Amino acid sequence: MTLPAREGAGIPGGAGHVAQAISPAFEGLFRAEYARVVGIAHRVLADQAEAEDVAQDVFVSFYRAHPADAPYAPAWLHAAAAHAALNALRGRDRRARREAAQAVPIDTPAIDDDPAYIVAASETRDEVRAVLARLPERSAAMLALRYAGLSYAEIAAALDVRASSVGTLLRRAEDAFRRELR
Amino acid sequence: MNDTEIAQALGTVEPQVNTDDALTRFRARVQSEGIAGVTPVAHGRITSRWLQGLAAAAGVVIVASALTLSGVADSVLKIFEPKSVVAVPITQSDLNYLNQACAGLNLQDCMGAYGTFVWTTPPQPKEVQTRGQASAETGFAVQAPASLPSSVTGSPRYGVINRSSATFTFSADSTRQAAARQNRTAPPMPANIDGSKLFITGGPAVVQIWGAPAGATGATGAYPDVPTLIVGQAKAPTISSDGVTVAELQAYLLSQPGISPQLAAAIRAISDPSSTLPVPVPAELAISHPVTVQGVQGLYVGDNTGIASAVIWQKDGMMFEVIGSFTESQALSIANSMR
Repeated sequence: MTLPAREGAGIPGGAGHVAQAISPAFEGLFRAEYARVVGIAHRVLADQAEAEDVAQDVFVSFYRAHPADAPYAPAWLHAAAAHAALNALRGRDRRARREAAQAVPIDTPAIDDDPAYIVAASETRDEVRAVLARLPERSAAMLALRYAGLSYAEIAAALDVRASSVGTLLRRAEDAFRRELR
Repeated sequence: MNDTEIAQALGTVEPQVNTDDALTRFRARVQSEGIAGVTPVAHGRITSRWLQGLAAAAGVVIVASALTLSGVADSVLKIFEPKSVVAVPITQSDLNYLNQACAGLNLQDCMGAYGTFVWTTPPQPKEVQTRGQASAETGFAVQAPASLPSSVTGSPRYGVINRSSATFTFSADSTRQAAARQNRTAPPMPANIDGSKLFITGGPAVVQIWGAPAGATGATGAYPDVPTLIVGQAKAPTISSDGVTVAELQAYLLSQPGISPQLAAAIRAISDPSSTLPVPVPAELAISHPVTVQGVQGLYVGDNTGIASAVIWQKDGMMFEVIGSFTESQALSIANSMR
């Protein structure tokens, strides 16, 4: 992991410069990690189109500031996917509250072809998302990463915690999730 | 709700993505928004160099510890741990000797002049994003300066080095061979030193660096090659021995050819070698004197040109150092603002 780049006027990489073709290294990284980044965001958002939007933003953020061959690239992308998706989820909740406060009837979201919608009923799905939005950031991110299939080592790298602590932190996150869902 | 039910609640089926389409979309966005990426080669080199610097810093901690062989315990159980720092003058002849012995600055090769150096836990520097993460990684509260001169701007980068340990086994054969390679004749190694072991530990450590930005600024070399400020904090290094005494080691090592009389005298003059960390200071290139910092006695080291200053001190089991292009008063001000 590395600090966000400081960009400024007159420095290549700053805003306003002509874009170059993406490097083979970046394309390789994109191909290797795109599905997983979408998968992490999808665990949080339960909406594939929104998850893919988040994934695009995550890759753009990485592309602006980090080299494709950085050893921390996958971990950075995984963490960013979880955090960006949680931010999008909270933004979605805020929008929903605003709309509800205005007492304008809204349509129930259509159940599309996404298999995740079939697994969880609409009410449960919304409740699960609300719980994720309420959980502490790290707990919610940990659940998203774990249930997107990341290993303990990958979670440790993404969230910058000790691998030996992941099991305990994950159990706490699951307990908090259960308590909130009741 | 069990784990399976949680998994079901969060969704058990992977979304089916079309990566080619996604890549096309990404390319179009990068083009239309004029987004430039980081040059992989340039950045990789910078990152690599930065991490190499961290590794070197870790090595210096260990080497500095190893140079304090006069501080090795008198018994197996007694552990060397610095409580204070003192400058010892290194002359050009000492440096020449060390350069020969340590050609290429490879720690193993350097120590190989006297025996076998083996990392039991090698230093593995890595970068973290925040001071909080650095504290979590190292297990101690990472301090930072509360006030900075105007020449220091921006946010620091954080590097952490794990607690590292090494074992060094003295070898009379290695010593003879190393001396022969330099056309020297080493004094005979006492039989009780030959085969004896030193157990050296250093860190964990945190290095905070201002003026070494990551990312896009490195593409044209627009970043400053020399950081404006480096702040280091580490658990004090320790050395233990499996039996050889302080007096024996000191007498043997200080009798080595190439060790100047000034250096030998300075090391012998350390009143409490079991708790004093000698900091080698090139006599012809730098000045040094004791200073009071954070209420304890520390060491100021400045180069003769006035370009660089360093303040080193030990407090509550931690070693600290502040290094940068400052005057002595600026360096002390930064050091005293550490919280």
